[in-house]
Parts: sequence; C-alpha cells; structure tokens
Amino acid sequence: MLIEARSVTKAFGAFKAVDDASVVVEEGEILGLIGPNGAGKSTFFNCLTGDLSVTSGSVHFDGIDVTRAAPEHRARLGLARTFQVPLTFESMSVLDNVTIGALLRHHNARDARTRARDVLQRVGLGPLSDAPAKSLGTPGRKRLEIARALASEPKALLLDEAMAGLTPTEVREAIELVRRIHGGGITIVIVEHIMEVIVSLARKVVVFHQGREIARGTPREVTGDPHVIAAYLGRRKVRT
Amino acid sequence: MSTRRALQLVLALIAVLVLVYPLLTSGSPVYSRLGALVLLAAIGASAWNIVGGYAGQVSVGHAVFFGFGAYSAVVVYTHLEWPPIAGAPIGMALSVLLAAVIGVPTLRLSGHYFSMATIAVAELVRVLSSTSEFLGGAQGLSGPPVPRGALDLSFISATPYYYIFLIVLAGLLGLTWWIERGRMGFYLRAIKDSERAARSLGVSAGNYKLQAYMLSAAFTSLAGSLYLTMFGFVDPESGFGILISVKMVVMAALGGAGQLLGPLIGAAILVPLEELSNSLLGGKGAGLTFVVYGAIIVIIARFLPSGLLSLVERRPTAPNSAAPKSTGKPVSGHAD
Repeated sequence: MLIEARSVTKAFGAFKAVDDASVVVEEGEILGLIGPNGAGKSTFFNCLTGDLSVTSGSVHFDGIDVTRAAPEHRARLGLARTFQVPLTFESMSVLDNVTIGALLRHHNARDARTRARDVLQRVGLGPLSDAPAKSLGTPGRKRLEIARALASEPKALLLDEAMAGLTPTEVREAIELVRRIHGGGITIVIVEHIMEVIVSLARKVVVFHQGREIARGTPREVTGDPHVIAAYLGRRKVRT
Repeated sequence: MSTRRALQLVLALIAVLVLVYPLLTSGSPVYSRLGALVLLAAIGASAWNIVGGYAGQVSVGHAVFFGFGAYSAVVVYTHLEWPPIAGAPIGMALSVLLAAVIGVPTLRLSGHYFSMATIAVAELVRVLSSTSEFLGGAQGLSGPPVPRGALDLSFISATPYYYIFLIVLAGLLGLTWWIERGRMGFYLRAIKDSERAARSLGVSAGNYKLQAYMLSAAFTSLAGSLYLTMFGFVDPESGFGILISVKMVVMAALGGAGQLLGPLIGAAILVPLEELSNSLLGGKGAGLTFVVYGAIIVIIARFLPSGLLSLVERRPTAPNSAAPKSTGKPVSGHAD
C-alpha cells in the first residue's frame, strides 16, 4: 500500500472533525473520498498531506511514517496535491508556476524549465505557457495546479475538489486528464462532491459523515447503501 | 524589438554615467558626496530587498543589522585601535547570527506580525545601545579623527567612497541576480506568492526564508560598516534608529521591491530629495523627513504597489524561451 492512515483523529477543541478514520490507498488505484458538506473529508485530506497535524493516529506514505512530517517533506517523498481553492503563484507566468514544481527533482533552473514545458504540453496548457497565471480562469487554474503537482514527479496525486466550479464540458475534460495521469502510473486520491466524477473515475470509494467513515466499496455499492443515503438526504422520520 | 534596443541603449548610457559620475562632479563636493550617499543607500536597500522584496518578508527592523555593522566598525577602532573596516566582517558575522536568532521564531509569523516583531527587536537594541558604556551610550562613538593609514579608509574627497560603494553594490547586485535566476530565486518568489502552495511542492519555506534573511542581514551590516568609514561617527539614532529601517523599505518599494534594480532607483530618487530638504530646512528638517517618507508610503501603496519599475514593461524572458505570447486577456485553461 502507498498511503495508510490508521485511526486518524483530528480535533479542533472538543469538536472532532475527523474521528478515528482508517483508510488504505493501494499503489496504482484511484480512491474517491466523498461525503456531504462538513463530513470531514477535506480535513482528513489535509491530514494526509501534512497541512494539518493529526490529534491522534498515524499516517504512513510509501512505508515511511510521516505522521509528524511537514508538507514539504511529504512532497519530497512523492505526495503531491492540489487545493480546493486554487493557490497558483499569481505573480508568475504559467510556465514559472510549473517550474517551481519541477525544481523539486531538477535542481538546475534550466532543466526544470524544460521539464515544465513538457508537462504543460501534456496537460494541454502548452499554448498558455507564457501567459501570467493570474490571467487564467478557474478551470485554467485547476489545471495549472495539476500540472504543477505533476511536474514534481509524484507517486501519488491528491486532488481536493479539482472539479468544483467547472462546467459539465470542463468536468469531462478534467476527468479525461485525471485518467491519463492515472494511466501514467500515478496513484490518485480524489475528494469530490460531484457523484458523476467519482462514479466514472474511482473503483473504490470511502464515504465520510460527521468525521467518521460510514461506508466503503465500489461507487455502485456505496450509492445504494442506506447509511449513505441517510447521510446525504436525511433519515425518514415519523411525525407524531 | 526596437523598444528593447532603446532600453538597452539607455541602460548602457546610465552605466557609463554611473562609472564617470565622480569625474563629472569633481568640481562640486556636494554633488560628488551625493553620488556616494545614493550608492550607500542603494546597498542597504538592495540588501533589504533580498528578504523583503524577493521573499516578501517585510522587515521593518533592518536598522538592527545596519547598527551592528556601524558599531562593529567603530568598536574595533575605539577598543582595539584597528582600522574601522576590520569591524565589517565581525559585524556581518554577528548580524547573521542575530538574524538566525530573530528569524527562527519570527519568520513563522505571517505578514504584519513579522514586520512588528522586527521593529520591536530593533527598538529594543536601540534602547539597550544607548545605555551601554561599551558602545558610548547616547553620545555614540567616533572613528579615527585623522587617517592613520590607507586602511582607515578616511578620505576628504567623496570620490574614493563612491568607487568603494560602487564595487560593493555591483557585487551585491551580481549575487542577487545570480540568486534570482536560480532555484532559490524561484523558491523565494513562490513563498512570497503562496507559502502553502510552495510547501506542497517540496519547498522548505522556513529554511529559504531564513537563508534570505541571514544573507540580507550580512549585507545590511556591511552597509553599516561602510557608513561608519565615511561618516566616522555613530550614535544609537544614526545606527539603530527606525528611520534607517523605514528608508530601506521605502526606497525598495518606490523603485520596485523584488526587482533587481528597484532599490537603486528608489535610492537615486529619495536620497537627493532628502539632501535637498535637509539643506533647505537645516536641522529643523529632521522631523520633516518622517513626514515625507510617510507621504511616499501612502502614494506608493495607493498608486504604485509594484514600484516605478512596474511602469517599464520588463518581463524577464527565459534563456530557452520560445516565447509565444499571451493575448493579455483572461483566457480559460482548456486549450485542447
């Protein structure tokens, strides 16, 4: 297994945003992380990347205990991510954004730049290489974040709502991109609201609700699970 | 391409002018001194620019390093009778050490909190220095009244200072240019834009910020030592005063923070302005300097947040840039 989270709990004061979650991601798979708003999936995601430190439990990446490791250390081990609200480097060109990612494995700026051009071609941003990052719209920024993460040559790519705010056409394009990345041998963990995305990408899904895992299985299995339906739509109550 | 040609021509002209400036002003001690002062201020502001401009960590307490440099130079003369310049490496070493001590806890603070912490440290050191017998207390200390040898770097004419400062500035800008184009330059700019995103891409933001801070401290200290060789005197206000810190920030911001030549341009505008106001108003102008700098800060923040250099379209092109250009209009990201 590539990522293993064991009984991860993240508490903010008395509130447990993530409560005893254990998730295993096998090398080469696409794992979907879903759940209604406030389910704790983004918090859990940030515990995997190191942006948040866990209150208890452990996180292993590629056989190494990274529970206390900073985000940059996890990135060096091969864990790349995108952000829910894109954090592109606004003062730089698209190419320079991706160069920052490529510099992780290529110390020489010139080599990194060559590598970055390569990645931009692959994700379809080639023609925009020299545009300022701030000129991109939301779909462009999301794609740029993916390109930047890819340029760091990761083993696993963690996507935090990479499709949110995209039109249906853009979503289809993004799904296609994620498939291609996965085809290149990169393990994918994807947090997503949009069911269509999860169903078409992931074979394995973990459902969060109120900080706890309530179901796991194939997308078909979990969407039919009464607990999941109850979490999304509420439980039928008998009025008295 | 012709605008680029023109720009290169203008830059070459300026370079020649900078080189022969003392010859042009040899008849006028005032102007020749002014040139040296601009270069000295440019050294300080360019040193600040490494951490404040490129890394975006706005220190408003760089006077502490400037003062360390000035006092180190004068202390080795007063207590050991060495030439003041021999204190420069000591000041630099102490400043780097102090930068590490200040930087480790405060660089974790974001934005204004870091700025305020640096002000607090500088003010604390200023107050302490005025009570220190060793540092001459509130009266300060003076360098050699008459040069004992060439190493004292004590000249009547400003021309030797001009060239010494020019060499140091050229070295500093060369180093900055080299950093800017390499891995560290990319990483510093990334940290400035989004530290969180930078870290997610494997950038040890803490280490890079600290390195930039220490490097910046070393050169700021050198500026302080050079100041002492020229002025031969330092007291708590002229060494550690908050105005020293503010000047570095304002000069860099006016010219363009995070731009190689920004601080030099800022210095070339502000130093003559300050000298003019001092000569017109005499000693009474001292308080006015604060007012002028305050006004400039407001104007920059309101109208020119990226400094004067942002008015000149100056996009550094990559060494192997194939350069298909953007339309300049917002574009969406799905080009396929």
